[in-house]
Amino acid sequence: MKLRAFSLLALSIMLAGAPADAQNSTPRLATEIERTPDGKPKLDGIWQALEPANWDIRPHAARSGPLDALGASGAVPPGIGIVEGDEIPYQPWAFERQRENEARQLELDPEVKCFMPGVPRATYMPHPFQIFQTDQYVMIAYQYANAVRTIHLEDPGPAPTSFWMGWSVGRWEGDTLVVDVTDQKAETWFDRAGNFHSENMRVTERYTLLGPNHMLYEATIDDPEVFTRPWKISLPLYRRVEARAELLEFKCIPFAEEIMYGHLRKGATDDE
Amino acid sequence: MRTAKRKTALAAAAGACFAAAGFAGAQVFDPDYAVPRTPYGQPDLQGVWSNAVLTPLERPADLADKETLTEEEAAEYARQRREATNRDRRADDSQEDILDAYNDFWWDSGDNIVRTRRTSLIVEPRDGRVPNLTPAAQARLAELRVRRDPPEGPEDLSLGVRCLYFPHAGPPMLPGSYNNHYQLVQTEDFVLIVNEMGHETRIIPLDERAPIPAEIRQWRGSSRGRWDGDTLIVETTHRRADTPLRGSGENMRLIERFTRVDDDVLLYEFTVDDPESFERPWTVQSPSVRAEEQLYEFACHEGNRSLEAILAGARAAERGNE
Repeated sequence: MKLRAFSLLALSIMLAGAPADAQNSTPRLATEIERTPDGKPKLDGIWQALEPANWDIRPHAARSGPLDALGASGAVPPGIGIVEGDEIPYQPWAFERQRENEARQLELDPEVKCFMPGVPRATYMPHPFQIFQTDQYVMIAYQYANAVRTIHLEDPGPAPTSFWMGWSVGRWEGDTLVVDVTDQKAETWFDRAGNFHSENMRVTERYTLLGPNHMLYEATIDDPEVFTRPWKISLPLYRRVEARAELLEFKCIPFAEEIMYGHLRKGATDDE
Repeated sequence: MRTAKRKTALAAAAGACFAAAGFAGAQVFDPDYAVPRTPYGQPDLQGVWSNAVLTPLERPADLADKETLTEEEAAEYARQRREATNRDRRADDSQEDILDAYNDFWWDSGDNIVRTRRTSLIVEPRDGRVPNLTPAAQARLAELRVRRDPPEGPEDLSLGVRCLYFPHAGPPMLPGSYNNHYQLVQTEDFVLIVNEMGHETRIIPLDERAPIPAEIRQWRGSSRGRWDGDTLIVETTHRRADTPLRGSGENMRLIERFTRVDDDVLLYEFTVDDPESFERPWTVQSPSVRAEEQLYEFACHEGNRSLEAILAGARAAERGNE
């Protein structure tokens, strides 16, 4: 009797200690779609894409990556693709350019240099991002390269110049946030496979909550300079529900400095 | 485009509010000012703010005994500071002339000194100077890798030249050369500060979550915020060892305070709590003034031709010497 009581006491003491750990490890799922004081669905939170679109937005089988030394670690995972209709409608010259981009990925992909990824690529990088929603702005902070966007809900006027993350103006259509992104630098790519656009591209994004922990992301690409018609991507975004979910720092500049400036290092030979 | 005229007009408008308040220690701001609230009922600190100010961080040696200026002295001092910080001056020495680099159009030195007419942004200790470093901090700084000159690689150039970290954005935020603007956005559980310089983005949770693990160190540290009345208090720890703030170390605890004291003024203060590095804590007080402009993207790394040029120049000079 005494022993059992003692065991129960010991057990209850152990369990009393558990909540601190539980608080640290129990995921926090949203249970309903919350609304802001002005009645809009709350898009706030930390979100991330799972579809490996950053490797290649088109449907593709697994294939080796650009660096043999990484072996299977550097390989491209297979993807069902995020392009509606599966095909990117390039003009013939543009299709040749995309193939050249793909062949020269290490040299040309802005991601290798830690350049800001632009829109829509920032949305499906293998990093979380966080949305902050007010009645004047929707701010999106991306873990990747400390990139950040201001989506103006009040007309900010025309873009003063072009930007890596574009110039974003948003509006609500029912429960969908629609964002027009213009004036994006031509140097950004859609993925590592060299899919590209011109400086005149217009992206129309749509953010729609599918439930408290899932969002549908759609983007229509309108760029008559490069494509034969507008085309569209779509993929779900998943709320990061870990109790300790937060954006950490991914300042990738130091990781890119050797590849960018190594040829200017003292002692680097001319033929490097 | 920011023009000198626009900046002066804005600063003058803000300054007019306080000229009437007179000077009585810290009572330069209206104690009855009622801070507007966000839709979630919190004090509204939002907007695009500028940290540009003429007052230096540390009290200049020739003002060692003067903590505050009189109104007359202040006007003359501001005039002197504007002249001293004007980058359109030409230097007699051609090397120095080249180093001045940008002319004044690019510079955002501020149009006014602080309203309190203090002679330094540092308010504690009373001498307006950064406290002495401890012997341990001095030893630690001596051990930090020395940057080679001429530079042999990117690691020999400053964090700012590499677009990695800027004293403007820190944290803490300090007035700097240009891009003194920052945008503050509030939601129910977070405060977001986007510094134009380096698009340094700080996410400050207000939800009393636990700190990140001690193993993770970040250039901008890790911040946690809470409200104390109408003041937002942000504590930042988890700093990397290689981003000293005037000699601080990785165990520095930075406490920032944001208080809206007027429609167009956000009082920004910070205390550096780092007994391993400084003989005493030190506190800075610097008002941020509302800016009319929006933040623009500062694609520092994407456009960093100067780092390339500096290294290429060093290599060319070596070849020239061969």
